[in-house]
Amino acid sequence: MSESKPKKTFSRRKFIIRSAVGVGVLLGTGYFTRPLWRRSLADMANSMEPSYLGDTETPQLWFEVTADNQVILHSPKVEMGQGTFTGLAQIAADELEVDMRQMKVVNAATATGNIDGLSTGGSNSISGLWQPLRELAATMREMLKNEAARILETDAAALTVREGVVSGNGQSLSYGDIVKAVKEWTVPNTPPLKDVNSYQFVGKPIPRIDLHDKVAGAPIFGMDATMPDMLYGAVVRPSSIGATYASADASRAEKMPGVVKVVKEKDFVGVVARSYLEAENAKNAIEVTWDTGKNWQSEDIEEMIKVGKGEPFVIQKEGRAKRILDNEEGVVRAEYRSPIGAHAQLEPNGALAFVDGDRATVMISTQVVKITRGEVAARLGLDEENVNIIPTYLGGGFGRRLHTPNAMQAAVLSRAVGKPVKCFFNRQEEFQNDTFRPPTHHVLRAKLLENGLIEAIEHHVSSGDVMFGSPLFPAIAQPILGADAGAWRGGMIQYGKVPNFRAVSWRVKLPFATSWWRSLGLLANTFAIESFMDELAVKAGKDPVQFRLDQIQDDEAGRRLKEVIKAAAQKAGWKDGVQNGRAMGFAASTDANTPCAQVAEVSIEDGQIRVHKVTCAIDPGLAVNPDQVRAQCEGAIIMGLSASMYEKMTVKDSQLTPTLYGPYRMALMKDAPREIDVVILENAEAPGAVGEPPLGPIGAAVANAVFRLTGRRLREMPLEL
Amino acid sequence: MKISFHINGGAQSVAVDGNTPLLWVIRDMLDLKGTKFGCGKAACGACTIHVDGMAVRSCSYPAKFAEGKNITTIEGLSAGEELHPVQQAWIEEAVPQCGYCQPGFMMATAALLEKAPNPTDQDIDDNIVNICRCATYYRMRKAIHRAAEIKNANS
Amino acid sequence: MKKAYLFYTLFLAAGMALAYASSQPQDGEGITPPPGGEEPEDALQAFDKMMAVLTHKRCVNCHPAGGRPRQGEDSHYHNFNVQRGADGHGLPALRCGTCHQRENNDYSGVPGAPEWSLAPLSMKWEGLSRVEIARSILDPARNGGRTLEETVHHLTEHELVLWAWEPGVDANGRPREKPPVPKDEYIKAVKVWAEAGAPIPEE
Repeated sequence: MSESKPKKTFSRRKFIIRSAVGVGVLLGTGYFTRPLWRRSLADMANSMEPSYLGDTETPQLWFEVTADNQVILHSPKVEMGQGTFTGLAQIAADELEVDMRQMKVVNAATATGNIDGLSTGGSNSISGLWQPLRELAATMREMLKNEAARILETDAAALTVREGVVSGNGQSLSYGDIVKAVKEWTVPNTPPLKDVNSYQFVGKPIPRIDLHDKVAGAPIFGMDATMPDMLYGAVVRPSSIGATYASADASRAEKMPGVVKVVKEKDFVGVVARSYLEAENAKNAIEVTWDTGKNWQSEDIEEMIKVGKGEPFVIQKEGRAKRILDNEEGVVRAEYRSPIGAHAQLEPNGALAFVDGDRATVMISTQVVKITRGEVAARLGLDEENVNIIPTYLGGGFGRRLHTPNAMQAAVLSRAVGKPVKCFFNRQEEFQNDTFRPPTHHVLRAKLLENGLIEAIEHHVSSGDVMFGSPLFPAIAQPILGADAGAWRGGMIQYGKVPNFRAVSWRVKLPFATSWWRSLGLLANTFAIESFMDELAVKAGKDPVQFRLDQIQDDEAGRRLKEVIKAAAQKAGWKDGVQNGRAMGFAASTDANTPCAQVAEVSIEDGQIRVHKVTCAIDPGLAVNPDQVRAQCEGAIIMGLSASMYEKMTVKDSQLTPTLYGPYRMALMKDAPREIDVVILENAEAPGAVGEPPLGPIGAAVANAVFRLTGRRLREMPLEL
Repeated sequence: MKISFHINGGAQSVAVDGNTPLLWVIRDMLDLKGTKFGCGKAACGACTIHVDGMAVRSCSYPAKFAEGKNITTIEGLSAGEELHPVQQAWIEEAVPQCGYCQPGFMMATAALLEKAPNPTDQDIDDNIVNICRCATYYRMRKAIHRAAEIKNANS
Repeated sequence: MKKAYLFYTLFLAAGMALAYASSQPQDGEGITPPPGGEEPEDALQAFDKMMAVLTHKRCVNCHPAGGRPRQGEDSHYHNFNVQRGADGHGLPALRCGTCHQRENNDYSGVPGAPEWSLAPLSMKWEGLSRVEIARSILDPARNGGRTLEETVHHLTEHELVLWAWEPGVDANGRPREKPPVPKDEYIKAVKVWAEAGAPIPEE
């Protein structure tokens, strides 16, 4: 599965010098990647090779050197908590030869030209930029050294750089001094990169660079954005499945205090007022007529999501699994289910937009900067170049901000009043208009050999769409993949020594929006497959850890998977059985080339499942920041517990409920394991995925422990006794 | 109506409908953006502030009740340049991920430490019930214990 | 406050014979004439009316049997594992007042009234029959040492009790369910029942 990757390099070396803005000088570059849609889709969907898709034509601003010798990195990947800014700063600082204290990272506004054509997601921000960012930083360092050599009248090779100061010939110049002195830059060939082992910052647990702002309550999020003369908008959003806007009577709203204007569009109605509350109150007074359709209930959805219905697509096939398993004698069969999941990120979606003549500026928490820009430009009839999207820090992403029509709505409201307008969802609207994690149904079948190993195994998953139907994924690309790779992520059989295996994805189009939710199908698919593996191990009378190890193939991916399984079992002191009222449960998965294994230590207290400790072994390859790898594992484990044990949306009379935290039960402090032990293996040279892979095993690990405690096999999330 | 109170040590007066949740007075009239809007229903705790030292969810606290009160927000938690022990501990343990909910958690924790200088794990479970979607609870618990240590060492 | 105090004084002075006070509306709608020739309500009918209220979730949710309040029309445990605490006003840093103020909040849907708190554990009603509740409210060992008069006062004049008829809206803006008996009828029933010597039927 993992082959050596072709090295990405500059296809043309051309730095573009920008005019001075504020302090310092802007340096930019056109960085050329493989601009193939097909290649990228395959990256995202199948091999999970790191993805980054930069613009191929226009110059891009990457680094800004300030007069006081700071380097500002304009990141095309946004910071939504995953620690990317810190990792990127470490990578850049090492090649640039500056100290971490000199590095700043900001979200690249689209006006910089530094626009990732894909998204921030798929756990590929660090891995995708690992090579290009090092090459850019190294090239920039050499440019600065070359100019320093010219100024100091010496040979560049004789110069040394330390903390952004170039020294040689008995003199020193800071990067800030150099950029001030240079008018014409010469761009060298991409220099050789440093030996990874020589890096000072990469590989170290450097504190996050955004810690201070985040503990001080600095106004860094989309919700916090302001502009002079800003007004507040509110948009009436549908509250039920299938409802589309028909018409509105706003006569009462128009007369309400603070109202500036009611804005009626063909597809929505909104209001602009002087304050948030006045806009909200006026919105509630608008009487909207909705076109509605069928009256949906949860049972209808469950009926739709059923293996055997919808469009099947074989995603994996080895040997004659179907034939063997269709002869039902001796076949073990089990069904699993997962519910509709909400993103429930804490910062509501929103945007601050200012449309000024033929130009627009939008400040927004978005994971899809380029799509957001395209949607705003298209709606307003503006050139994309005249729309500047300024991404802010995200108050949680998790895939929710891959869909940002709110930017367009804020822009429409702004244009209607000629002033900046900030407009965001309330919490009820967030839940009602989420792009949910689709519910799933799984059928697993297997037959064991006499020696207890698996002769044939098959996984069927029925799921609502994840990638398909997303603006991130053009409809024309669907035939390339055939099946929704988001839905079947994690759905393939990873036990390559099994002679016969097969996986089938059943596509169902649901009547409400389903889409990307951190780790996509991994959560549900791993829950189903790894629970079933445990069932098989129990049936075979084997230790579930050894049962897995015995059936993993010996290629590189298999070796890495076996290593994390062994490491997790060893660190946890794995024992199969109940001790002192506690039992361990085991599960493992590989996602985006990152294998991860987890052991959950569980007891039953007052009839409730209590997870005391989780041991997690992960191999993301080179860990740029081990502390942030750890943080991602800890967070993913608890978020995965939350989704596996508590969370569930239901449909009643076409209403998606609940619409509030609390009723939408999520893990709280009291539910978090008191101990989380993370073991990081680094059995690959380059950094790989971290943010999502550790969500895979946790649900099955807990359910497998519950089986040992109670003899009951919980095959439906959320896990309930 | 005119409402007068002290916020982060300074006297403040605003003219606003008395039923306006204090959250919006703080965020939009006083431009203190550290207090967050998460749900507007007193469910998530992102808007937690102190009113006369008690943890209060400002989205459900009408501005009129602030009359004459002492309000503290995350911006006023620190004493000038020196961060509050809770903030120091949050940095030491590298708690925040996205960071959006963290001011609310820190305010709730600061209130807890005033009442329970050495909180047990049970105290933490019972009193700190805000929501963090990045699920940073594991580090938060460590940071709460650490904050208690720092605070007790200082006093 | 002043009005309530006045009623209390009158009430003590005139004892339970003062049926006049029982018909006073508590929400300032004006004075209605005394019942005059009306026949006094049958005490057991009054008991039924009173108990229809006291066993309603608006009352029982805050008279729970354990350390956790209940909430909502289905009387589920209060979200977020909210607890009674030592004084019935919550835990040290998670007081009732962290979310509940002295009046309902229509924006958040969080209910509120003065002294928003749980009844002490001795006054638990959750899981009790009507008769058991009645015994409990008459038992000074369990009702906070109240005399019958004081109990009647609590049941008919305490703002937190009377909140049940002004329960506001929930988080979705939907009005909360009120007890099945109108407030003035309930107040009258309590007084009629008490006046008749607070008889508890056999059940």
